[in-house]
Amino acid sequence: MKRLFACCSLGLALCIPNAVSADETVIGYIKTINDQTTIDESNGPIKASLGSPIHVGNVIKTDQNGAAGVTLKDNTILSIGPNTEFKIEAYQFEPQQDKLQLNASLLKGTLHYISGVIAKLKPEAVTVKTPTGVIAVRGTRFLVKVEE
Amino acid sequence: MKTISLPKTLTFAVALALSGCAKSYLVLLEDHDGSTGKVIFSDAGSETVVEQAGFGAALDNSKTVFKVEQEKINKDFGRALASEPVLPETFLLYFETGGTKLTADSAALIPKIIEAAGKHPAADISVIGHTDTVGDASKNEKLANERAVQVSKLFDAGKMDVKEVAVTSHGEKNLLIKTGDETSEPRNRRVEVTIR
Repeated sequence: MKRLFACCSLGLALCIPNAVSADETVIGYIKTINDQTTIDESNGPIKASLGSPIHVGNVIKTDQNGAAGVTLKDNTILSIGPNTEFKIEAYQFEPQQDKLQLNASLLKGTLHYISGVIAKLKPEAVTVKTPTGVIAVRGTRFLVKVEE
Repeated sequence: MKTISLPKTLTFAVALALSGCAKSYLVLLEDHDGSTGKVIFSDAGSETVVEQAGFGAALDNSKTVFKVEQEKINKDFGRALASEPVLPETFLLYFETGGTKLTADSAALIPKIIEAAGKHPAADISVIGHTDTVGDASKNEKLANERAVQVSKLFDAGKMDVKEVAVTSHGEKNLLIKTGDETSEPRNRRVEVTIR
């Protein structure tokens, strides 16, 4: 009986994160990282490390020593500096089905952006929101800083 | 001479004052391939376009575009710039007709691809198989997949730092060189490897 209970609770524990998570599709990976960087998953923040997967809805956060770089599936490159909060709001990369979208938000801090295939195929599908407005890109590389 | 230099100084002073004020701002950079695109910042009703590398705009409705000194870029964005991942690399491998045998040239490229994969920490690799239009579409879908699967075996997660190898088949639907049906085209018989 005890064993059965243990099995059940284990099953439950394994199930919960899956049930809560909205979209499990991996859209990119952490490729560079130093010091304290976390990723807010739907079931709470986790400490990020080299190779951590990135999902839609994730907020990548760094503290005053943190910095991280991410490469998305369409070769978009995003790297952030210290004291930064960066969220992937929406992402679709299925060129065969013409499903292309990248919407991100820089809530605070610094971002270095290099466009990938989505921006090449469908420039209007890429936006980076900031607290005061929206940045649109036409095939390019830029930096943005949001000070609170 | 003085009449020219005065406005110049003034413009410089205004630009300096503006860029000094801009707490939240963006800077357009030249791409790694030497090209420069543009960025457009818009908030309710106003739009600011930056088209010149090294120039920036405040993230407000002032619609001012100003030069950003390299020193300021380094100071504000040094850490973000230093965290840039290794740029993705793409390789094309070509096949003999009707099967999964690589051409001699492509077979010779394999060591270079494996070496490249080793230079991408936490590499995620996509392998997309293609065929030309010889044979029926469903058979080509299968053949393209076989080609991609074969190439994907080069990347051994046990030996290298590889997070993911994604294999996809586009069959004969994504021709590099547009041809009619039943056309043998060596450049369409390929596998595209992207190492991120």
